[in-house]
Amino acid sequence: MSATVVRALVRRELGESLRSRWFMVYSGVFLLGALALTLFGLSGSEIYGYRGFAKVMAGLVHLALLFVPLMALFPATAAIAGEREIGSLEYLVSQPISFGELFLGKWLGVSLAVWLSLMLGFGLAGAIAVWNGTPWPLIALLLALTLLLAEAFVAIGLLCSVVARSRARATSAGLVVWIVAIGLGTLGIMGAMLRWGLPRFVLTLWGFANPVESFRLGVIASLDADGSLLGPVGNAWMNALGVSGVIALCLGSLLLWTLLPTAVAWWRFRRPQSWSAL
Amino acid sequence: MIEARGLTKRYGSQVVLNDLDLSVERGQRLALLGLNGAGKTTLLRCVMGVLSFEGSIEVDGIDVAAAGKQVRSRIGYVPQRPPLFQMTLDTMVEFFSALRGVPSQAISERLDSLDLPLAETGGLQLRELSGGMLQKALLAVALAANPPVLIMDEPTANLDPRARGEFMRALRGVSPETTVLLASHRLDEVEMVADRIWILHEGDRVFDGSLDDLRARAGADSWLWVRTHKEQRDVVRAEFVRKAGEDAVIANGTHVAVQLPADGRAEALARLQSNGVPIVDFWVVGPSLEEIVQGFFTESTS
Repeated sequence: MSATVVRALVRRELGESLRSRWFMVYSGVFLLGALALTLFGLSGSEIYGYRGFAKVMAGLVHLALLFVPLMALFPATAAIAGEREIGSLEYLVSQPISFGELFLGKWLGVSLAVWLSLMLGFGLAGAIAVWNGTPWPLIALLLALTLLLAEAFVAIGLLCSVVARSRARATSAGLVVWIVAIGLGTLGIMGAMLRWGLPRFVLTLWGFANPVESFRLGVIASLDADGSLLGPVGNAWMNALGVSGVIALCLGSLLLWTLLPTAVAWWRFRRPQSWSAL
Repeated sequence: MIEARGLTKRYGSQVVLNDLDLSVERGQRLALLGLNGAGKTTLLRCVMGVLSFEGSIEVDGIDVAAAGKQVRSRIGYVPQRPPLFQMTLDTMVEFFSALRGVPSQAISERLDSLDLPLAETGGLQLRELSGGMLQKALLAVALAANPPVLIMDEPTANLDPRARGEFMRALRGVSPETTVLLASHRLDEVEMVADRIWILHEGDRVFDGSLDDLRARAGADSWLWVRTHKEQRDVVRAEFVRKAGEDAVIANGTHVAVQLPADGRAEALARLQSNGVPIVDFWVVGPSLEEIVQGFFTESTS
């Protein structure tokens, strides 16, 4: 593994991701949304105290739920399928680089682009929140979980990108995952429970199986130990595992969502035909 | 320089390359011909180690299956379709100097020698460059480290005639020591570059020899065109008809053409001169590579 090669690939991937129009739009909206939620939310903190900060965090969580997966999916789904489509992937693999260096370069490049954008958005909002008295560990936990959520969707996006035969299909597949993850959140699973009388363990499993839900529960559990904001899935978890157990399970879920799709994407990518548009 | 034994490539049940043995010496220039789907590109990709295969391939003594990256460091590659990276030519030079482990100076010197100086074109996005400029840039990247092997997959297929001419002139800078593998559909390209030809058909090698051998085997005739004075045209025409028959002669204004095999053209011209017919100009229009290859298949079948 050559550090020079990986560095060159990362730099290029980072540059292309940051220059992408969609990425700029999502990052801009995310930054503005995070600042607005923080500034408006903090205006009530003198009255509500710590609970006021919790409301700010809850607002940021829901902003992240919508935007972070999209910010990660767009560059990740384009990373391999887009290059395969225009023939540049074929040219890259014909250079004296290994498939491992190429995959690592793409993964790191896209991840860094998303992370930089999130650090900017949450970094500014978090700094304002800490300046106004919000405990920094809370902000740090929110940022860590957000970066992990982004990484999970980078992994899912890369998997779509490796498997799909075109950029449009990869993006569509990524969007379907996003819609399922968002649309089948708490409300979706509650509706399903009411309609079909699903057993309780389905709720628990769903929370673990859905990276968006894991992120939401992990952050809110750290804010609201009594579980009043957690909804049915969070309540089921909280009763069974307690606060630290829920947070650990959420971190584990997000980590699994990062590692598993990345591993499958790598397994598919290293098959020699995967780079070919033929 | 390139040795392959029992090279076989399958996609599922479809055999794309069928038990091929290949030996290309240092400095030899091999053109791969064949109809679409014959296996030319697949063979090149196997040699570069970017496709899995059965059998064995060695490039410069290195096992391709075991050390693909090392093998690719000894190969310069020019594809048919230039990759449109979102970067300037300057950035591209830096990027590929890192990937290929060569100083960027080596690439920019190559670009200078190919009449594409970075000082003038470095700030341009790749998508702003013409097809010919892009292919020359890729050739510069491919040759920067003086690799012992140059692989080109239909490098001029998407170029207009002027750009094609420029690219072919650029190929003159390739060292005679460099072993070249070229997949092509163009006769001028093959004539200029290759000293040996392989024809692939459905994964099998069906011809291995020189272009002259191929022409002879394909029985492909070419047209000898002669321009003379108007009053001499009918004399030339009659001479050609006597040589090749009515159906093989065309007369148009001061131009007369006769369809002849390669070994009959010089004799036909000599006879005109010995008869005192003034020839203002002459030229030969050969068969296209497709016609030669098609003729080869027709001859093989019969």
